[in-house]
This record gives sequence, structure tokens and C-alpha cells, in this order.
Amino acid sequence: MTGRQRKQLWAAVQTALILIAMFIMLVPILWIFLAAFKTHVDVYQLKLFFTPTLENFGIVFDDPYRLGEKLFNSTVVALVTVIIAIPVATLAAYSFSRFSMRGETMMLVIILATQFVPAVVIILPFFVMFRDIGLLDTRVGLILVNLAIVMPFAIWMIKGFIDGIPMDTEEAAMVDGSSRLQVIRNIVLPMAAPGLLTSAIFCFIIAWNEFLFALILTNKNAVTLPIGLALFKGEEGDLWNLLSAAGIIIMAPMFVLALMIRKYFVQGMTMGAVR
Amino acid sequence: MRDNTLKYLLVLPAVVVVFATAIWPLIEAARLSFTVGRLNRPGSLDQYLGWENYAWAFLEEPAFWNSVWVTAVYTTLTVGLTTILALGLALLLAPGGRLRSSAQTLLILPFAMSPALIGVSFRFMFNPEFGLFDAFFGVLIPPLADVSWLADPTLAFAVVVMADVWGWIPFLTLVLIGGLASVPRDTIEAAQVDGASGWRVFRDVTLPQLGPVLAVVIILKSIFSLKTFDQVFMLTNGGPGTATQTLSHYIYFNGMKYGQIGYSAAVAWLMVIPMIFLTYAYAKFVFRKG
Repeated sequence: MTGRQRKQLWAAVQTALILIAMFIMLVPILWIFLAAFKTHVDVYQLKLFFTPTLENFGIVFDDPYRLGEKLFNSTVVALVTVIIAIPVATLAAYSFSRFSMRGETMMLVIILATQFVPAVVIILPFFVMFRDIGLLDTRVGLILVNLAIVMPFAIWMIKGFIDGIPMDTEEAAMVDGSSRLQVIRNIVLPMAAPGLLTSAIFCFIIAWNEFLFALILTNKNAVTLPIGLALFKGEEGDLWNLLSAAGIIIMAPMFVLALMIRKYFVQGMTMGAVR
Repeated sequence: MRDNTLKYLLVLPAVVVVFATAIWPLIEAARLSFTVGRLNRPGSLDQYLGWENYAWAFLEEPAFWNSVWVTAVYTTLTVGLTTILALGLALLLAPGGRLRSSAQTLLILPFAMSPALIGVSFRFMFNPEFGLFDAFFGVLIPPLADVSWLADPTLAFAVVVMADVWGWIPFLTLVLIGGLASVPRDTIEAAQVDGASGWRVFRDVTLPQLGPVLAVVIILKSIFSLKTFDQVFMLTNGGPGTATQTLSHYIYFNGMKYGQIGYSAAVAWLMVIPMIFLTYAYAKFVFRKG
């Protein structure tokens, strides 16, 4: 074999490997997409060709499943969590980025560390407290504990974005007599807006996919979508066509959001350790 | 207002939120771990018990050691497999071009999937009657054709590991592609001009340059593996028996199903200890830049 042939062969092998890898990565998702459009008869067979139906999406929103309520809970919980977290995190991130404080590194390390605390540790005291003050199975309770997982990400991510904004405009405005708060509102916020939106989407996805807190804290009124998946167990086992329809409702919006911010996923997840 | 006051006021709300939602529960969990702590017995949450919950876990509970063992094997396997496979995929996808860029974009999808849903999806894929992966492995490895994966302790464990690796490969790959991009091209080209083989270039040039990024990835993945709960709960619920019961699942089970809050808080704190070391290691990389 000549050098050129060998190169071509190697390129072909690489392409094949990439296609196989993509197939493995996508096939569980595709399979759910297919199953969601199958009837309850077709879903129990390894069929690739079938007459698609939309009935599953109707059934999951009907009695007794009422996925609409879960969808509402998930949306409210994730949205309010983000609406609280982003402004609070932005103020802190600005301060961490622009000033040096006593104990700053310590504070940042502790904020980073809280992200690594297992959720199951955090939830035990909250469960006891919520039981005593009547916050079990409420959206308010769920929003409070969700802040625990979202805040560290938000602070670190937004700090990364603000670090990237040059300080000269701010300094010029200060010389012209603007106060620090005016500078934040009129200069930093508009410049950081894309970064803030990215962080908000990132946090929304985390809160939307959160599972353990909702599993322990909710049972009826505040149940979110991921917990709602457990509903689709019939007497004869899992109702896969309905599970899949619910699965699409959970993941499709997240796919759209994730594609919007895909460039920042790595930075967000690693808290800036890798850019 | 002076900046000197303002800078502390700006961080105050965030510090309050982090303290209330993360630090307080840690401290309160530590307190609970020294109490009788039964959910159904009023007053037991303040009934001091000393170190007995910890002693109970260490000396009287084979199930605790089982979950430690499951978590250790699980973490080792998932961290190792995910890192190796993601490194391979990153090397494959890093050069760019149309096919490779679209593949990189698609990698976001599994990563945006809720871990609970990944668990459901893999239970579906390994269903003995109509699971696609089940059928696939049945053709590939004939002895596996008629087994029920999730009913067998070893195979169920394998499925849980596969689901985890599947869910995390995309993220690790994307991080490593970023890391590869920062390996200087001329160093690689210089080595190639000197006649080094592809493997030598990878081992002697690329891999050492990738070191810090790999370290970050391995620490981060270890943390997430140690905490694993969602997939396990949806996929096997710890079973069959306790074959796939991770520490998080064991804590959940004792605390929520049996109402032993004090005991599960003790086990939870035992789990925090390795986290402290990992966080310390991680923080070193984060602040290396600053």
C-alpha cells in the first residue's frame, strides 16, 4: 500500500468511527422519539416502520396523568429559581470581579465547594424543616432548595463573563461623575446581557432537570416533570409509549435551549477551570 | 456610597443565599447525625446519641459497606471509561470540518438530557423483549441473547455504568476538544517533521500538554460519579437486591423510606469527606489562572 492509499484508508476509518459514535450517542434519544409516536401495540415490538400517531401526547395530558400540571410546576419552579438567582449572583459576581475583599478567595472556594456537596446531604435537614413549617409539596419549598444548586454555578459563570468586560468604560464614566451603581446599571448590565442570558438558560436547564429534591419534597401538588415520569407504570409494567411522549416534553425544550448556549456549556460546567 | 462598603453589600445577598441553602443544611445534617433522629418519633431529632450512628454504619451494617463498595467500583469504572472514550472521541473530532463540527453540536443533546430520563431511556433500551440494545448485544454476543439484563446483578451494574458513561461522554469530549485546541500546533508539527509516529506525538507532546485539563475532567467526573442517584433510581432502584445501590441511594432509602434521618445524616457526612479532598484539588486548578 502506498502512503497515499494508507492516508485515504485512515480517513475512511475515522469517518466510520465518527458515524458509529454518533449513532451510539443518538440512538437512545431517537428511540424515545420513535416510541412516542407509536401506539401501545407497536411500542412493544422492535419496529422501525409503523403508522405514527399523536394520541400519546393527548393521553399524557388527560386524567389520570395530567402532565400539564407537572409542566406548569416545572416551568414555575425553574423560572422563579432563575429570576431570584441571576440578579443576586450578578451583584456578587460584579463585586468579586472588580474589587478585592478580605477573604475573597475563601468565599469563592466555599461557593465552589457547595456545588460539590451531595444533594442527598442538603435535602435531609430541609425535609425536616419543611415538614415542620408546612412547605412540603409546595413550589416555594422546591424553589428554595433549587437555589442551593443553581447559585454557585450562576456566581462563577457570571463572574467569568464580567471578568471579560474591559474596565476602561466604567472608569471613564466614574470620572464623569457617575456613581458605582449607575455604572453597574448603565454600562455593565448592557455589556454583560448576553452572558447573563446564557447563565440564566444554563441555570434553567439545571433546575428543570433536577430530580432528587423534587422526589423527596413533592408528592402531589408540586410534582415536577422528571418525577412525573414515575406515573407511567401500569399494572403490566411500564407504559413505554406514554413514558416516551412525556420524555419528549421534558427534553425537547432543553435541547433547544442547550443548542442556543452550546459554546458556554464547558465553561459553565467547569466553573471556569477550563475555557 | 464608598466602594469599600458597597463591595461587601453587593456580595451579601449571595452569601446569605449560599449560607442558607448549602452551608446551613451541612451543619444541621452534622447535628442530626449525632441524634436518634427518627422521623416518626417526635423529639428524637434532639435526642443526643453521640457517635453511635457512625459506629452503627461501620460495625453493624453490611448494607452500608455494600453501598461503599458499589460506589467505589462504579466511580472507578465510570471515571476511567468515560475519560478514555471521551479522549478518543475528542482526538477524532478535534480537527474540525463539516462532519466533525456537526458531531460536536449533536454532542450537546445527551448532555442536556435529565439524568432521570437517561435512566428511563436505558431501562427501555435493555428491555428483554423490545429493547434495542438488548437485541443488539444478543446478536453480537449470543450467550447474552436470552438474559434479562436488569434482573442479573452483574449485568444490571453494567447497564448502570453504561448509562452513566453514555450521559457523560459528550461533556468530557467537549472539554477535551477545548483542551486539544490549546496544544500548540507548531510543537506537534515539529515532532512530525522529526519523524515521530502518530502515537509518539500523542504520548510525548499532546498528552503532557493536556495534563491539567485531564486532571480537571477526572476530578469533576469523580465528584459527579460519587454523587450518582437519579439514573440509578430510575434504572434499577438499587436492585436487583442491593447490587446497584450507590451511597446516595442508600442514604435516600434509610432517610426517606425507613425514616432514619439521624443515621442517614451520619452516612451522608461520611460521603462529604472525600468531597472535601476533591474540592480542594479542584479549587487549585480553578485558581491556578488567577
